[in-house]
Amino acid sequence: MANQVAGQLDKAPLVNGQRAQKSKGSGISISKYISYLFLIILCVIWIVPVVFGITTSFRSQTEVVSSGFRMFPKEWIFDNYIAILNNTSTAPILRWLMNSLFIATMHTFLVIVVISITGYGYSRMKFKGRDTLFFTLLGISFFPGVVNLIPSYKIIDALGWVNTSWAMIIPGLAGMGNLFLVRQFMNGIPKELDESAHVDGANHFRIYASIIVPLMKPILIVCGLFSFTGSWNDFLWPVIVFTDVDKMPVTAGLLLLQDIYGNYRMIGQLMGSAILAIIPTLLLFLFAQKYFVQSINLNSGIKG
Amino acid sequence: MKKKLNLAPVFFVGPHVILFIVFILLPTIYGIYASFTKWNLMNDPVWVGLDNYKTILFDNSSTFHTQFNNGLKNTLIFVLLSVPLLIVLPLLIAVALEHKKVKGKSLIQAILYVPGLISISAGALIWLLLFNKQLGMVGNVFGSEVSWPTHQPYAWILIIIITIWGGVGGNLIIYRASISGVAQDLYESAEMDGAGPIRRFASITLPSIRFPLVYTFVMTTAGAFNVFGQPLMMTDGGPRQSTHVLMMYIRQLAFGNGESIAGMASAMAVLLGLVILLISALQYYVMNRNAA
Repeated sequence: MANQVAGQLDKAPLVNGQRAQKSKGSGISISKYISYLFLIILCVIWIVPVVFGITTSFRSQTEVVSSGFRMFPKEWIFDNYIAILNNTSTAPILRWLMNSLFIATMHTFLVIVVISITGYGYSRMKFKGRDTLFFTLLGISFFPGVVNLIPSYKIIDALGWVNTSWAMIIPGLAGMGNLFLVRQFMNGIPKELDESAHVDGANHFRIYASIIVPLMKPILIVCGLFSFTGSWNDFLWPVIVFTDVDKMPVTAGLLLLQDIYGNYRMIGQLMGSAILAIIPTLLLFLFAQKYFVQSINLNSGIKG
Repeated sequence: MKKKLNLAPVFFVGPHVILFIVFILLPTIYGIYASFTKWNLMNDPVWVGLDNYKTILFDNSSTFHTQFNNGLKNTLIFVLLSVPLLIVLPLLIAVALEHKKVKGKSLIQAILYVPGLISISAGALIWLLLFNKQLGMVGNVFGSEVSWPTHQPYAWILIIIITIWGGVGGNLIIYRASISGVAQDLYESAEMDGAGPIRRFASITLPSIRFPLVYTFVMTTAGAFNVFGQPLMMTDGGPRQSTHVLMMYIRQLAFGNGESIAGMASAMAVLLGLVILLISALQYYVMNRNAA
């Protein structure tokens, strides 16, 4: 830390050398207004599509087709959502949402179990070749994932998991990214804690459950949130693994909807489906915003 | 006492090692092996040596050759258009947000971050509506006469817009966290010496966040090479294959209708993997050297 500050102070003289005399007050307010303008324009662009999608889901098809562009409907109707929920044959969106919910929840739960247990092994236990093993796996995992895509399907097929939720729940558990973060974080917990527990006769399972996991809560929550949203929004893999309409998650289902509601014949229903598909992750963000945003601070791997 | 075989580490680390072998190591090795074979996903692969690679890279009469070239070209176009924006735009936003007098920072950040939590398929449906010639905003408010997804360069613009919309938030948060870690007194002393905002940005902010910059640059680029969902949903590879990216060809060859050509698809996947590895290594090398 002291080193870092010293390193930065080295650069200060550079700035010193420049004797730019400026009317300071006006400079600051101009940059303030430019900042505001820039940010507000961006926010509008970012929000408009979502709002338009939502309002369109409450429009009748006749209004959509006839009235040109309006941000808000003349008359708010719920028919689209009723129709969506009643269509259980060609576009069973409620099923898809349930499938997604099951997949994302199970995946998240298992991710937390696996990374906390494995992280404990790599960080708190002593065994021969521990670090070599960890960094070998980490190195291999940097190899681009495209290469294992096709054989992964073959493995899922061999396990009998094609068209099942397991195809989406299990393979992602093998990843190294979360594990790396957890190990980093766990290395920061003082070793004296478990040593004294050891002396008191606690075994590893005990130390893991009653000392380490409680201390790891913040990073486990962060990894869990990202696992949930990542799993919920995954697109390529479900499009490959699911052919059975009833079994697929909602992201893959929406691809089908493009054909089913082709050429935007049932635009309100199409939008309603898209909106239903984004509600869970938005709710999650609403409740856990600080974890999404603070995540990087916890992540000592990123900050130089 | 000490000689006792300790099985505890096996319990803690073992399950993940097995998962890793089954779902990452084996498929990676098999993927490389399969690229040297003729394989339809059903029967055993038949070894053909370098045939797939020769066809893809040099056989002008082969459709695989044309597909690979077109797919790689389109993927590169996507990378070149999206990556600079995904680096520069979040950086500008982070700097604007760091401005002391700007209020509502966390609301603005939330608004810009949320699209990253929306799946590509849902986001694409919404943006397609917005850009729909008859129903959307672009036709009715801005009077655009073209159908965006089926005409160039509009198809690319559409794909890039949704990519930026969804991708800015993640990098923004990394930059904000890094910039807020820069010591405030550096800025204060610089300000007292009369350094303007641009000068302070170039002399203090940028050098201080060099590592996060390299990190996001490399990760964003590698991610962009895997582009798949946006062109599939927005343009379906059109118009006339001009947005058909390599991932789409790979999926189509291995898992599309008709007989699977998984061996050829694996060779394309290996080539794409090599491109990603090479570019990432080059980025690390160049940026670290310039940093030293």
